Amino acid sequence: MGMSISSEQNAAAASVFAEQVESQFGGSGVTVSVEHHSNAVKYAFVRMTCPPQHWIAVAKWLRFDGGVNYCSMITGTHYPEGNDRGWGVVYHFLRQPVRDVEPFTADVLEANALEGISIPLELEVLIDLPAGDAPVVPSVQSIWVGADWNEKETWDLVGIRFEGHQNMHRVLNPHDSPEGFHPLQKQHQIRYHDFNEMYDDAQGFVRKPADEGRVK
Amino acid sequence: MAQMWITMGPQHPMTHGLWTLRVKVDGETVVDTEAELGYIHRGVEKIAEARDFTQVTPYCDRLCYVSAMTWANSYIYAAEDLLEVEVPERAEFIRLIAAELQRLASHLMWLGAFGPDIGNLTLMTWCMRDREMFLDLLQELGGSRMHYNYPRIGGVKRDLPVGFADRARAKIKLFENRIDEYEMMLDESTIWLVRLQGVGYAQAEDMVNAGVSGPNVRAAGVNYDVRWAHPYSVYDQVDWEPAVEKPTSIKGADCYDRYRVRMEEMRQSCRMVLDALEKIPGGANTHYNTGDEMIITKAPTRAPEGASGFSNYECTRGASQFYIQGGGDGRGKNPYRLSIRSPMFITIPYVAKTMIGYKVADIPAIMGSFDPCIGETDR
Repeated sequence: MGMSISSEQNAAAASVFAEQVESQFGGSGVTVSVEHHSNAVKYAFVRMTCPPQHWIAVAKWLRFDGGVNYCSMITGTHYPEGNDRGWGVVYHFLRQPVRDVEPFTADVLEANALEGISIPLELEVLIDLPAGDAPVVPSVQSIWVGADWNEKETWDLVGIRFEGHQNMHRVLNPHDSPEGFHPLQKQHQIRYHDFNEMYDDAQGFVRKPADEGRVK
Repeated sequence: MAQMWITMGPQHPMTHGLWTLRVKVDGETVVDTEAELGYIHRGVEKIAEARDFTQVTPYCDRLCYVSAMTWANSYIYAAEDLLEVEVPERAEFIRLIAAELQRLASHLMWLGAFGPDIGNLTLMTWCMRDREMFLDLLQELGGSRMHYNYPRIGGVKRDLPVGFADRARAKIKLFENRIDEYEMMLDESTIWLVRLQGVGYAQAEDMVNAGVSGPNVRAAGVNYDVRWAHPYSVYDQVDWEPAVEKPTSIKGADCYDRYRVRMEEMRQSCRMVLDALEKIPGGANTHYNTGDEMIITKAPTRAPEGASGFSNYECTRGASQFYIQGGGDGRGKNPYRLSIRSPMFITIPYVAKTMIGYKVADIPAIMGSFDPCIGETDR
């Protein structure tokens, strides 16, 4: 069709972006590479790793010079058996050529005519954190509004603290969850329990008085 | 008048799709809002760590009960990225047809629920009637009406049944006329226009910065669509164009624009299904047996540690994304970490803030126009 963004266009944009990052942050521990998805469509994306102390500087550059305007997902991972890293945070960003349009016009983007930072791009940033009880990474809430609730979710479920985040609170777990309870940490094992186990007190739940005399 | 907080929405374990919107009102005007989520958090991400890759698909179906097919597809693309599987082209076409039929069903569910929000109760019954046509088609593929478990890592469960193409064409031809009928009915209804026009403005750049995606952004005049920007299936081979609405104000898209863009998107989905039925390799009327290499390919079951898979998928409400890390329990049989990005989880806090300044009576119109789904939000 020629209507969508082509793989060549995308691969070229990814390599240009990688070169820019390399020239800006090369040598400071930030690494960048162009990767391809390995399913049917071999689509190019940029993968970066970044030490946590440089993350704010890199994030500001991505947002205001690199045109990366969309923070789509933040994933925290717990590696209790990792040797050099105890925790990992993965950010997924998109670069979208979206801008406000005049009334009664629509911004019909011709895929072939897009160039420079207008070409959509996927970006993955990996930050490794040392082992320990209190993983901390700087918050990018003030750079992307979309990072706000993603960071809340990551803290709530995984327990990674985002330094500088305003108004952090539980979002998916109940507000009165015990402090330090973050269910996606690996010490919380998920397990199967059979029928009998659910109805005697093996799980430690005390039956409600109304159920006491009932035969299940 | 003194300002006060009020709580909207019934919360009871029996009802479904729960969330709370706390609204601070000054008389009739909304001055502050706060969204509360998490009432139906099931912990799908944790459960997935104890399941192998094929067992995760049914859980992804259940993330959203009105667009199960697109969520399952979204997971499958991430798993295929992780396991390095190349899917036969016929299977990609079948997935495209299934996903677009699901999009029609989901948008009809949205329109049917949005009508009563505005005060048009008849619309619900009409949309449910039409949605049934597409649920029947999806039932022919997956075997059930809501949770299909249809896509497989490497292909699809079954080929198109005999006669499916003709039935799909007939239903879509009928439905294309019905869209016109609905538009005639709604666009000339004074109540509909008064409730929707000039309410709930949202600007494109604001929305993108806040992480909103999909039809809600396209309503603000921008044709950004994952199917267009990061083509993942065979979307570059079929005949369609992203549905874009022209906003009528510098303040961005209002509720009316968001309604219009979904109507247009339904037309585009119809167009895509019709075209895909023409272009499908092997022909739409051929039926290959289950397990034939035309529709499914062999996929590995284990992924090494350090491998990762990612998919960016245009779900019915925006971009849904999955990120999977390999090397979990069972020597890599399970995902080590499965992360789900739900478009509505990001959108709902944003929408809550766009309500500020409008009347309490506008809240259902604004909220409904963004098409919220709590199943995927809470995961």
